[in-house]
Amino acid sequence: MDLRSYIVARVLLMIPMIFLLLSIVFLIVRVVPGDPVLLHFEKKASEEAMAEMRRELRLDQPLHVQYFEYLAGLLRGDLGKSMAPGRDSISQHIFSAFPATLELALFSILIAVGIGILLGVRASTSYNSVQDHVIRVFGTVIYAIPVFFLGMILLLVFSIYLKWFPAGGRIKPLMEPEGLTFYFSKPAGGFVQVFTWSFPVGLISWAISLVALKRKAIKFWPKGLLISLLVLSAGWIVYAYFAWHLMFRGGLHITGLYTIDSLLDGNVVKFVEAVRYLFLPSLTLGLMLSGVFIRLTRSNMLETLRLDFVTAARARGLKESSVVYGYALRNAFLPILTMMGLQFAMLLGGAILTETTFSWPGLGRYLVDRISFRDYTAIQGAVIFFGILVAVVNLVVDILYAYLDPRIRF
Amino acid sequence: MPKLEIKRSFLARFIPGLASLTKRGSAGWMTIIGSGIVLSMVLMTVLGPWFSPYDPTAINVSPPPNPSPPSGDFPLGTNLLGQDMLSRILCGGSVMIQVALLSVLFCFIIGVPVGLLASYAGGMIDRISTLVMDSFYAFPGLVLAIAIAAMMGRGVVNMALSIAVVYVPSYFRMVRSQVLTIKELPYTEAARATGAKGQTVLLRYILPNVVPSIVVVATVNFADAILTAAGLTFVGLGVGIDVPDWGWDLTQGRQLLPSGSWWVITFPGIMILLLALGFTLVGEGLSELLTPRLER
Amino acid sequence: MKKVKNSRKAVSTTMAIVAIVIIVIVVIAGIYAYQTYLAPPRKELIMGTTDSVESAIDPSRAWDFFGWEIIQNTGCTLVEIKPGSSATAEDFEPALATDWTLSADKITWTFTLREGVEFADGTEFNASHVKYSFDRAMGINHPEGMPLGSEFDTIIDSVEVVSKYVVEFNLVQPFGPFLALLSCQACAIVNPEYAGGWKTDWSEDDVVYYEEGDVRASHTMDLGPYNLVDWTRVAGKDNEMRLEANPNYWNRDADGGLPKTEVVIIKFYADATALRLAIEAGDIDVAFRHISATDIEDLQDDPDVKVWEGVGAAIQYMIFQEDPVGTLPQLNNAKIRRALTACLNRSEVCSTVFLNQMSPLYSILPDGMLGHTEAFAELGDANLTYAISELADLGYSETNKLEIELYYESSGHYPSSAEQAAVYKSQFEASGVVDVTLKSLDWPSYREARSEGTMHIYLYGWYPDYIDPDNYAFLYYAVWLNHHYIENGEHYAEMKAAYDDARASSVESERIDLYAEIDDYAVMDCPVVPIWQGAAWAVTKPNIKGVYLDITQTWRIWLLYEES
Repeated sequence: MDLRSYIVARVLLMIPMIFLLLSIVFLIVRVVPGDPVLLHFEKKASEEAMAEMRRELRLDQPLHVQYFEYLAGLLRGDLGKSMAPGRDSISQHIFSAFPATLELALFSILIAVGIGILLGVRASTSYNSVQDHVIRVFGTVIYAIPVFFLGMILLLVFSIYLKWFPAGGRIKPLMEPEGLTFYFSKPAGGFVQVFTWSFPVGLISWAISLVALKRKAIKFWPKGLLISLLVLSAGWIVYAYFAWHLMFRGGLHITGLYTIDSLLDGNVVKFVEAVRYLFLPSLTLGLMLSGVFIRLTRSNMLETLRLDFVTAARARGLKESSVVYGYALRNAFLPILTMMGLQFAMLLGGAILTETTFSWPGLGRYLVDRISFRDYTAIQGAVIFFGILVAVVNLVVDILYAYLDPRIRF
Repeated sequence: MPKLEIKRSFLARFIPGLASLTKRGSAGWMTIIGSGIVLSMVLMTVLGPWFSPYDPTAINVSPPPNPSPPSGDFPLGTNLLGQDMLSRILCGGSVMIQVALLSVLFCFIIGVPVGLLASYAGGMIDRISTLVMDSFYAFPGLVLAIAIAAMMGRGVVNMALSIAVVYVPSYFRMVRSQVLTIKELPYTEAARATGAKGQTVLLRYILPNVVPSIVVVATVNFADAILTAAGLTFVGLGVGIDVPDWGWDLTQGRQLLPSGSWWVITFPGIMILLLALGFTLVGEGLSELLTPRLER
Repeated sequence: MKKVKNSRKAVSTTMAIVAIVIIVIVVIAGIYAYQTYLAPPRKELIMGTTDSVESAIDPSRAWDFFGWEIIQNTGCTLVEIKPGSSATAEDFEPALATDWTLSADKITWTFTLREGVEFADGTEFNASHVKYSFDRAMGINHPEGMPLGSEFDTIIDSVEVVSKYVVEFNLVQPFGPFLALLSCQACAIVNPEYAGGWKTDWSEDDVVYYEEGDVRASHTMDLGPYNLVDWTRVAGKDNEMRLEANPNYWNRDADGGLPKTEVVIIKFYADATALRLAIEAGDIDVAFRHISATDIEDLQDDPDVKVWEGVGAAIQYMIFQEDPVGTLPQLNNAKIRRALTACLNRSEVCSTVFLNQMSPLYSILPDGMLGHTEAFAELGDANLTYAISELADLGYSETNKLEIELYYESSGHYPSSAEQAAVYKSQFEASGVVDVTLKSLDWPSYREARSEGTMHIYLYGWYPDYIDPDNYAFLYYAVWLNHHYIENGEHYAEMKAAYDDARASSVESERIDLYAEIDDYAVMDCPVVPIWQGAAWAVTKPNIKGVYLDITQTWRIWLLYEES
């Protein structure tokens, strides 16, 4: 099976899985005893008021109609309306909460893999020594700690006793990076901004198109130039569309990741603040995940270090550190990559608890928050989003793995 | 007769006592330490009500101001309501342990038969059940558990059920992969050739060989179930205030953090950690002992 | 040869990484220092809160504390209550109305309006805006009625424009606390342009809710000391608000210029812990609402912050369900209710759960309010002998215990509900003849269970809409509490008559007597048992002035300022 048919097969396999997942969530939310609408009135509501609410939320439709509307909505990226007053769009809510979770997830994966590789390699090179045992025990214990307990301990030590890091939230008041609006807030800055940023965007898309062309062996002149110019303008149009869109939505950031937005603002003070707020939550989550990576790195390294080519490299008289990090680790990296994909689900679970511990305004907190409001439609939306996210990440990792290691597609 | 089969293969590896375990290297030690921790925790929880110096739910056993730090009368301090933390620690494991036990039981009841039947039957049934289980498996566990628990409401059984839903697929997958291997083994083939019925083959030849792996999965799942139960409690889906529970204490203790009341969270947290650690150790030890791998 | 080359390469790679890291750190530190040096000093006042707008910044819909605060600070009413007063008849001050008279039959109020007041868009405020605002508020007729308890159409019959600056309110019946009602946030004047335009057919669709990215379309307010110029939400939760001084505010020249602070930022925190740490770290200048009792106790010893204590109007009470459905015990018997009430020990709750920051309450009217009494003290606190003997009359003993279920709310709607419930349980059980099962529900389910009448005994709280005993005393039999006192109460008829008389009267001494009478009936029947009264707490930096925490529960941001 070549890579392309592997990808096709993998994607095809994902469709029934996602479909099942959607149906499961739809069912879970609807097996609630009692009428969810009843829960959303301050006083005992009149029949008309409840009927009106059902109409607004399309809950007056028969179940199968609701189901198809729900699927159709999902295709448009529409997760329905919240049951809270105002009936906000749930997609909008999730869209605004997701960057916080993404930022937390990215940094904690970085920390987890960093700790995992460092300690895992240490353990494997000092196999069966005291150091090895200590690291192994650490890996096991850290896995058994309730992540919010770990978070609270870090919070207690580093932000309450030592006061080195803030205890919760995403950033100080007035410190939110302004992203695009920073430029737009200046008179006539909008166009300038769109043009300034469209150049790097355009150049990158051009470069990608050139590389792609080279692979396909199309001559640069004249067809190649034409295609790359097309790509360039397409990139620019897409960018400009998003930029304008964001501008009119107001208040949105470029990426929503404060660490990146603050750098795009060119504001290092905000960047440092963003990192300070991010540090404890991502350390908590990263530590929790690191156990798995330590174990994985260690066992893989142990295997790799026995292989012939490592022995050969040693025999050639290479320095031990470059044997370990340069040769062996590179070889052991593939399983770590797969594990990153597999751990993503666990990461999101941990993120819910970490976000609650540190009042981090991400998707996890959103879910917990909506639960106490009994906002069923929003719970459904958030759970689906989590599910699809994990499915997609696993898909990408699988494909990447297949691409890097041809042995697995057969 | 099938029962006897199970006993032979299953207990034959288990019973010969601690002495042989100590000879099995780190895996043996892990099992011993782990089961030691687990047993003492369970014992403590069962006997706790007799030994605890105060009623764990009685308020103001310590005169205000509360929470007060560890002292002579209250070695682990008191919480906001003036309840003795030591008594709460001694009695507080029951919720976690019950939830974990029940959820593992539910998983067992659902996961194992479904896995056995599906994989033995093969064909369409197998494919469909694998697909269903895979879509559950791929789901972020805690998210699913939270969603289900939120829908079902509070209570030990509901918590256990919502956790079970998350972990059934692990049992299913384990059983299925084992059955697929065992099905092809000469000894099963031989049994079939001698005219044994499907039911007999399944119960007598396949099941006993699957049991060790199930035990390993179950022990590992105990740890996960405990952590998930703690997580559910933390997001407000646990049981109420009138049952002493480590998870509850840990959750409520968060409000007291800024005033530096470290003892309110530390002890319950350590207890949950120990319980989960005990099961993890047993699980890891057993998985090395019971699923023989090629030695390095 | 090869070996040397390789190790050199390894060394240089390590060196390069170290060098790059050092350079990055130095550059970041340098720019950090430079930018910190360049940053202008902050002019804004930052307020932190754990509250949020739960419904809308629209007087026709808002019922929540924080929504009302924003209405108060960005909108204006016809009359206002003097800051720091106790809201007696003399404390009503002219705001958008300069003068008012009441007709002899006490049915018609006539208000003369202030001239020359402008909306933000330059339109001049006049009598038609008053009529518009009230017609709209009454016409939208939300399923939940106008703000709880103050159903307008039972009080106001019609609002008529007499002339450009004179407006007339015709009441359904004489209503003593009318000025108090008019000063409440539900009576704020809205700007028609942002409230649905000039029309007469109102529906629920006309309620103005938060609109992503368009702050002016997100609220109906105008005319107040501040304009709401920015309001962001993340995932449906308030994130930040920006209030800027309203240049058109009618009272802008008073008191050295109002508002005292040009720009105020409101930052929303997820919980009390985060809020407390933010004020401690100096991230915010003012923390108002929801700092937990332990934290307040801590902060009182902290020299870097100032803790303000004010009068609280919030009360918590316990309700007995008198309609026995299915397995409920016979709580429709006043004797049982009185016995259970006698078991309660209010000061123990206040000291254990709230570290004495709440105070015991023996009347449905909080201390500081006209008509407050100590009526429930008659039954005593932890008066177990009384409780046991009363229950013994009904056949309950240590072997035949009275079994009751006590419900509490578990999602943080009321402070420390679970802890309170644990305390009440132990107090009931201390009698030895009562067996309590604790049950909890999250707020929406709790509310529904209340409407369904399925909870034996449950805790509830109340914030006043308008500052008058009229807005409390009805709680003994409130229809929406659904505890069926109206059908079962022995003294309900007398209580209701006294309430109606007090409502119609505007003679203070007469009203005080009537409210005392209501409390006395309540002690006899114990339909609802007042337990504690909250205090209002704010924490600020030491140099913040202008904090008023009076009985009105109005958070006057426009009076806050930083003393240099």
